[in-house]
Amino acid sequence: MNGMLIFTRSAVKMQNINYITGLSWRYSPKTQIVAIDPDKKDSTVQILSEDFFSARNPQISYDGNFMLFTAQRKPNDPWQIWEMNLRNFTSRQVISSNENCIDPAYLPGDKLVFSKLDLNDTCKGGYSLYTCQLDGSSIHRITFNPHSYFASSLLKDGRILTISRQVYPDNGVQKLMVLRPDGTKCDIFYELTEGSTLLSQATETANGKLIFIEKTQSLATGGSLVSIRYNRPLHSRDNLSSGIVGEFLSVSKQISGKLIVSYRKSDADRYALYEFDPEKKILGNVIYENSGYDILESVVVEKQEIPKKLPSEVDTAVKTGQLLCQDINVIKDQSQSRSIASQLSRIEVLGIDSILGVVKAEQDGSFYLKIIADKPFRIKTIDSNGKLIQGLSDWIWLRPNERRGCIGCHNDHELAPQNLVPIAVKKLPVSLPIHVMKIVEKKISSE
Amino acid sequence: MGVLIALGLLIYFPGRKMAREHVNTKTAVSDHPLLCSKCHLYTSENALVSKLLNEDYYSPFNLAISKDGSRLYVVAQEANSLLVVDVEKQQIINKIKVGNQPHTVILSKNGQKAYVSNQWSDNVSVVDLIAAKVVDTLKTGNGPAGLSLSADGQFLYVVNSYASTISLIDLKSGEELKRFTTGNNPTGVNLSPDEKTLLITSRRAIIAPYGEPVVSELTEIDERTQRVTNRHNIESAYMMENVAFTPAGDLAIVSLNRPKNLVPSIQVEQGWMMNYGIAIVEQKKNGRVIQLLLDEPNAFYPDPFGIAITPDGKKAFVSSSGVNCISVVNIDSIRSLISKSTTEELNSLSNNLGISDHYISKRITTGSDPKGLVISHDGKRLYVAEQLEDKIAIINSETFDKIGSIDLNGPKRITVNRTGRRLFNNSGHTFQNQFSCYTCHPDMHEDGLVYNMAAKDMGRNLTNTQSLREIHHTPPYKWNGKNQTVYKQDGIRFSTVLTRTEQFNYPDLDAITAYILTGIQYPPNLQFNPSGVLTKSQQQGKKIFERKTDNYGAAIPVNNRCITCHNPPYYTNLKLADVGTLAASDDSTQFDTPHLNNIYASAPYLHDGRAATLEEIWTKYGQTDKHGKVNDLTKIQLNDLIDFLKSLRAPRYEKKSTK
Repeated sequence: MNGMLIFTRSAVKMQNINYITGLSWRYSPKTQIVAIDPDKKDSTVQILSEDFFSARNPQISYDGNFMLFTAQRKPNDPWQIWEMNLRNFTSRQVISSNENCIDPAYLPGDKLVFSKLDLNDTCKGGYSLYTCQLDGSSIHRITFNPHSYFASSLLKDGRILTISRQVYPDNGVQKLMVLRPDGTKCDIFYELTEGSTLLSQATETANGKLIFIEKTQSLATGGSLVSIRYNRPLHSRDNLSSGIVGEFLSVSKQISGKLIVSYRKSDADRYALYEFDPEKKILGNVIYENSGYDILESVVVEKQEIPKKLPSEVDTAVKTGQLLCQDINVIKDQSQSRSIASQLSRIEVLGIDSILGVVKAEQDGSFYLKIIADKPFRIKTIDSNGKLIQGLSDWIWLRPNERRGCIGCHNDHELAPQNLVPIAVKKLPVSLPIHVMKIVEKKISSE
Repeated sequence: MGVLIALGLLIYFPGRKMAREHVNTKTAVSDHPLLCSKCHLYTSENALVSKLLNEDYYSPFNLAISKDGSRLYVVAQEANSLLVVDVEKQQIINKIKVGNQPHTVILSKNGQKAYVSNQWSDNVSVVDLIAAKVVDTLKTGNGPAGLSLSADGQFLYVVNSYASTISLIDLKSGEELKRFTTGNNPTGVNLSPDEKTLLITSRRAIIAPYGEPVVSELTEIDERTQRVTNRHNIESAYMMENVAFTPAGDLAIVSLNRPKNLVPSIQVEQGWMMNYGIAIVEQKKNGRVIQLLLDEPNAFYPDPFGIAITPDGKKAFVSSSGVNCISVVNIDSIRSLISKSTTEELNSLSNNLGISDHYISKRITTGSDPKGLVISHDGKRLYVAEQLEDKIAIINSETFDKIGSIDLNGPKRITVNRTGRRLFNNSGHTFQNQFSCYTCHPDMHEDGLVYNMAAKDMGRNLTNTQSLREIHHTPPYKWNGKNQTVYKQDGIRFSTVLTRTEQFNYPDLDAITAYILTGIQYPPNLQFNPSGVLTKSQQQGKKIFERKTDNYGAAIPVNNRCITCHNPPYYTNLKLADVGTLAASDDSTQFDTPHLNNIYASAPYLHDGRAATLEEIWTKYGQTDKHGKVNDLTKIQLNDLIDFLKSLRAPRYEKKSTK
């Protein structure tokens, strides 16, 4: 199969897109995974997902021999994760769940990450990320926010890059988030402007770019082809398709450096596969088109560089994580930072349904918390008069034994820490929430 | 036959099991390949084995260029030579033996002589370039490194890197006229274009209690009066390797590291461990010192070393040894940034990882470990000493394309040891390339800083960086002695809590271990024990070190004698001990007994670096007599003891002296 082009096609024309749940537009019925030989003219289309009612999201293993995909056996089945051996085209189910499990991506060390619909109290009906072995064992949840996470891919540095959107208490703006495969150090990677939506998994190129499809409201179903630099993702957006009429739906890379995009010129056309030169920003030749189908996404079967296999600091025997903030007065807007510098004195830590505690910041603005792990929380800053200064932060969680540091509250993500000893770490951390911590400690001591 | 097979199996299976257990113990993993040669051969110190396994590389370090651009003069650090390279033919035309561990080369005003500092010989070789031979040797202070001629070319300034001084030598008489104190461990020196000001960089920070800001000195000398006129405190920075002036003389640019040793080392993300940049030193009255990073939010450029500025003053090139890269700095963009920013704004930029987008025009990839840089006098070519490549890269300084490479024709075989050194100097094994082994262990030694390793809770486990010189026979490793071998030290836990990326694969782990155990040597102790003959004070100190009774004639318990725990030749008994230094923030109760050779070069002292000097170990922190019986000593006796300790040096130098 080396060199074959695998793609997903849909006879039903793209319409009625629901970008909030991320489901209907990405997982429509009767989609098929098929393969062609792109080097052969008039190559016959080989249907790889014949045994399935609908299949999507093909992902090729690093050795080029296997393919993870998402599929429904029968019309009303939940979407599940499968793996196909590309040498003999046999498939086996990797994940078996009553809920939808979608968007798999290979991880180094014979593992994968995927999104699963979670209906528990902390997730509030969003899709959480899970990891497991390729044989389906050792399933671990790695995100714990009331967010939905979709379309994960793996960066060369070994971290998971994923589309995230807050679902509780309000629907938030989509972001590209990055986290380690053990769920630690989750942080923002790229933020969209209000009204924009990410349509595709991000693909990382050999020259340090991340390329994905970003939709603005003016476009019907597709979006623009956008790149950001890995080295400075928050401030390097480049619309690669700004001079091109039409819409893009997905993008994938080839080892040659060229991209394959799913593109259509107008509403009247179907999405087809084209070459795209990201350096020259030129749409190239059509690779595959079929007037009976929209081509939703594609991937080339070839061996790929294995991303770094990151070590894990998670220790499930430990029930808490630790958070250090260097100075709550450091905020993104430096002018505002100066004006309120002397006023901030406390933080309020809020869980999903309750206040976890109010903690006094040290004289230098630092605080040091030990918080029950795998529970989401948010922080707001309060001045000495009890007045709210900075509203709620994004949701944060800490994994068991995770230790995280931040420079300030709502801080500039491009700021490195000052080299100084925060007063807060000269003392023991403040444990939150107090009542739960007491119970945990009591249990440990009784053991 | 059957008996033989049975005998073979009887030997093979238990033997294999024993070998497996042995390797598991040494490596702390159960899947390290079972190959005896990986450890026992590559870490062998047998002279013959070592000769067969290793090669004599050149390791180009610094370089100079003739005015007409036809010749490059390259310091070959490992070959103890100055290489004269024909640029046109791209070949070595002369190889001139100089002193040990040469560091820097500069040319005389008429270009007929070269001066080469020999860091391990405490002298400067004067090379007649026409005759291609050393014609004179000038005695210097300890560890000569950076060199500069005076404005009239009559005097030579020599930076004494180990003694933290700079010597002024009269080139007519060859005599040293003056010696000035500098910052801690100085290396780089440069004379301003108006030939009035000399700036001297220092690498180690001024010793200060943990928690105090890290400050390093940039020393300023008025060349006309030959006096120190300013000592700039460069805050939050160290490892200032080199300095260069713009041709207009309005700015000096210094390479530096910005450590995060005071912050708990709990993550690497967002530049939490180490940053790298440049200091811009305004050359005017009340001129500011502005620090700007070379780094980006997700990419770091460790171990900046060389700086070269184009003759038009538009571009500066900075070599980042740890990531095999040259950063091109747009100096006009920096001028613009400085002019429109207040001092407060500029201060906040010193930690800004995104601002480099405004002034870095290009990153140029080089061969392994780029060090010294030189630009041709017409400004068109940049030459880069690729230390661990044995090559000089040629870069078009306008297009930034690599247009050639001068192969110094070192050995073609890359040995296991050389691979280990490349790994040691490269940051590819840390998350986002944020630091290399070399970053905290410059010159394979230590950086003089204390880090908050935060093993359990943040703020705990303050750790004084330890030297890696000749540690083969001094296990266990780490202050808490938890690692019996370097294999374990650099294994999975190392990647989990420190580098926070994929651990070394086993061939790389074997190579870096081989290098650490056999490839790193102590410099000779020329400052305190050049010949092996101890001074009177050192002899007195030796007696105190070895004494069995105190000044009152009372027997000192065996376990409280210096020599019991610090026994030669490495001056460690390889055991843990409680010497009364336990702090409330320590998780360990006992600490590894450190080896003491070249201890003079390892300040600060004790596991958490609390003692700024050797003396403080027994005065400020030795009041309980738990760290040896010392409180009966007179001040003179304590001085003698310290003089003796400073005389300690590597066993191989002792063997040479004995012969």
